[in-house]
Amino acid sequence: MTPPGTGVGLRGGRGERPLGGRVVRLGLVLALAFGGLMLGAGYWQVLRADDLARDPNDAAVIAAAASAVRGRILDRDGRVLATNRRDAGGELYRVYADASLSAPLGYASRLYGSAGLEAAYASELLGVGGDDPVSRALAKFRPPAQRGDDLRTSLSLTLQRLAVRLLGADRGAVVALDPRTGEVLAMASTPTFDASGIANPATSRPAFAAARDDPGQPLLNRAIQGRYVPGSVFKIVTAIAGLSSGAITAATAFPQQPAAESTGLLVSGFRIRDGHHPFTGSEVLDFPRATEVSCNIWYALAGLRTGGAGMDEAARRLGFGEPIPFDLSTATSQLTNGRGPLPGGFMDDVELASAAFGQGEVLVTPLQMALVAATVANGGEEPRPRLVTAFVSPSGAVRDVPEGMLGRVLSTADAATIAAAMTRAVEGVDGQRFTSGAQVAGVTVAGKTGTAQLGGTGEPHSWFIGFAPAQAPTIALAVIVEQGGRGGERAAPLAGDMLRAYFAAQP
Amino acid sequence: MTAAALPGFPRPVLRRRELSLLLAVAGTLILGSLSLGLTRTGSLALADPAGLVAYLGALVAVHVALVVAGRRVDEVLVPAVGLLGGIGLLLAERLPQDLVVQQVGSATLGLASLQLIWLVLALVIAAVVAITVRSDRWLRLYKYTWAALGLGLLLLTFVFGGETNGSRLTLDLGPVSGQPSELLKVILVVFFAAYLAENRVLLADARVGVAGRLTLPPAPYLLPAGLMLALALGIVVIQRDLGAALLFYVVFLCLFYLATGSKVDIALGIGLFLVGFMVLALVFPHVRDRVATWLDPWADPLGTGYQTIQALHAFARGGLLGTGLGAGLPMIDGHLPIPAVHTDYPLAALGEELGMAGVLAVLGCYLVVVARGLRVAAATADDVRALLCAGLALVIGVQAAIIAAGNLKLIPLTGITLPFISYGGSSLLVNGLIVGLLLAFSDRGPAPPVEPRRRRLGRDGA
Repeated sequence: MTPPGTGVGLRGGRGERPLGGRVVRLGLVLALAFGGLMLGAGYWQVLRADDLARDPNDAAVIAAAASAVRGRILDRDGRVLATNRRDAGGELYRVYADASLSAPLGYASRLYGSAGLEAAYASELLGVGGDDPVSRALAKFRPPAQRGDDLRTSLSLTLQRLAVRLLGADRGAVVALDPRTGEVLAMASTPTFDASGIANPATSRPAFAAARDDPGQPLLNRAIQGRYVPGSVFKIVTAIAGLSSGAITAATAFPQQPAAESTGLLVSGFRIRDGHHPFTGSEVLDFPRATEVSCNIWYALAGLRTGGAGMDEAARRLGFGEPIPFDLSTATSQLTNGRGPLPGGFMDDVELASAAFGQGEVLVTPLQMALVAATVANGGEEPRPRLVTAFVSPSGAVRDVPEGMLGRVLSTADAATIAAAMTRAVEGVDGQRFTSGAQVAGVTVAGKTGTAQLGGTGEPHSWFIGFAPAQAPTIALAVIVEQGGRGGERAAPLAGDMLRAYFAAQP
Repeated sequence: MTAAALPGFPRPVLRRRELSLLLAVAGTLILGSLSLGLTRTGSLALADPAGLVAYLGALVAVHVALVVAGRRVDEVLVPAVGLLGGIGLLLAERLPQDLVVQQVGSATLGLASLQLIWLVLALVIAAVVAITVRSDRWLRLYKYTWAALGLGLLLLTFVFGGETNGSRLTLDLGPVSGQPSELLKVILVVFFAAYLAENRVLLADARVGVAGRLTLPPAPYLLPAGLMLALALGIVVIQRDLGAALLFYVVFLCLFYLATGSKVDIALGIGLFLVGFMVLALVFPHVRDRVATWLDPWADPLGTGYQTIQALHAFARGGLLGTGLGAGLPMIDGHLPIPAVHTDYPLAALGEELGMAGVLAVLGCYLVVVARGLRVAAATADDVRALLCAGLALVIGVQAAIIAAGNLKLIPLTGITLPFISYGGSSLLVNGLIVGLLLAFSDRGPAPPVEPRRRRLGRDGA
């Protein structure tokens, strides 16, 4: 056999050239492939290292859950919301201050894993994993932590308990936060569930089964996972869109509006009806008046003038269309279902006009609506909501979680215009007809009720969003009571009770 | 130095480079064993002194054998493979020993002992083959015999194969059981090296126009290529072994490229495999499930996606520098988070305990092995020999890349082993055979006779 590799230059065909060059090229390709593998290792071991290693389902976190002492969870005043007890076998289990905390705190159970803050901050509570590569490398030379960090939250146990008590037997949610910092003061979702029962090994199974099988779905945190038709509270979003896009001003009025109150507003062959404020008669309403009496016709016209694109843009600035960055995972609020051909995903002008007063395909989470109120209260800049404000290590070292803003949604002047209109909606002569329940003696409250029609014969959802004091707000809130009737009947008085308790506790 | 070797005996050749590299490997493994011992006991002690000494002894024995045999073969392969094997041994010592238990005579052997035995046997095979094999005639002359043998092995597995992890990989023949696809990969390389070398002129230059400027080799010569494609896809379906299929096919394509230099053919080959695989994924639910698990393991985190997710978490826990040997892989209720860690996910375990640094080092070691093999191929003037060496080196490199990519979720997970590191007798022995062949074929022939020392003269000579 002659070595053909030496036959260079006879014909020069590819089949006769020596292989050396190709071997080198092939080697380079393989080296490139290995380079790809190394990049893959870098992706999982550096870029994704933190979020995977801190995941509550991570094996190290689960293993630590069996041995390490979970840190406590504290409220804003240092009151203990969650701590540990030992069972007969000497093993630790979790105990919660009371059931009102079940929505934000969730549970930590040997049998059923964890949920809520217990899941979101499992690695910190269990003391697993350092925060940077250096301390993680150093941690190899230290014995594993016996005890995890305490979580300091922004919750007020007083307000949390009150919110759950006020919701009572109804299904619903309350979110109260400080509009200046985004600190969540209360996050209630009813019905609640027995988190201590789920955590206690002796009662784990029945308690979890009860929560899982309850038709009221207590394991669903309605404050962040519930998506509701907003009704008239959404008019504040329309106002933000109209004012910030320049489509409307405070003086904007529509001459056809008074007549449409009785005959209905004809949009693309469909009549949009109003009629719940006959006392305005032939008065042509401007923005503050329309907000005070919650005029659907005015808002439908304002929405049509702003247009689908303008509505969509403002809604997105507020956080619609994607989960809100938060300690817990939130459902996504929507302006439309996105299937329509018009800008913003509207099917037609009827849907746009209906969306402008919170019907159509609009679905919102209570947290999202609390942020809408907080944005107006905070001069147009939307705060980033947060529950955990600091980690306290067993040695007492405090690591603060920085606060932040989600961004500016509208100008300070426009925010002031809306705040003034919302103040009239609570304190104004005609506004009181709907919203007197939200009033607090000695404090000016700004707000907006909502009555979300669900179609069919059932009672509507009762909504309220607002903030106080109107001049320099320190609290903003959203209240929804499922099938609680008109906004002024159930949600507004509930908000008033919350605000009274809040201001009574202020020095 | 004296050239007066005994008649009939080779003159010993010192292998200084191999010796110094082996010392570095020994140092690394001793450090690793100390680190594992420290984590285990809290005091500075070797984790398993007897095992380590036995393994290092075997490496030294290979070195001495090669020196005494006097063959001038590659000096980097043995240390590189020795390091990989040693890391595998440390991993086996670190894992729960009851992952694999076998009764040998009256002794009950656990994972590390078995891994050590297989490793030493693999080294013995490598040394014996490196020293005794001097010609490749027995490989190239009987290529169709080899091919027939390979196909026979494969058919036997198709029919009688036992299931391992959902794949039909194991062949049980009474007392002997093994994974034939491991041996098959060598046989295929031998066959294709011989076949492609013989037909490369035809394949590369006697092209038939197909459409436009696209040309293909004449149909009869494409038959083996088509068979190879069918074989690969058949293995996916019948054996449920995507890893072996990918390995065979990729190595075949690489050899085809080496022989013909035609990039178009290779692109076509890759395209056909992808299309074929997609069709299979549409037709066969088990292929589809594999792909779905790969794309989104989190869809079923406690079921089909469990191992994949746990492996990614292991990589993540390791971070840059790792947790240290013995300090990772947290046990949940007495179970490892990744059940098949010693066979399918050794890289994930190494990624956790040695960190990204360790992963890069291990991958780098494979590149060294491949580079040495390709060097031998590039230095050979003979086509069959060159293709054979390239193919053998590629088998190791491509296999490592496929299982590493599966561990890292870059491709669907496959059931093939990480060469020299995964637990598995067939795999270790066959890889030992490959190393032995590469060593044998890297022989640069007898050293030139030592010139008698003369007085240095002027440039123009005496």
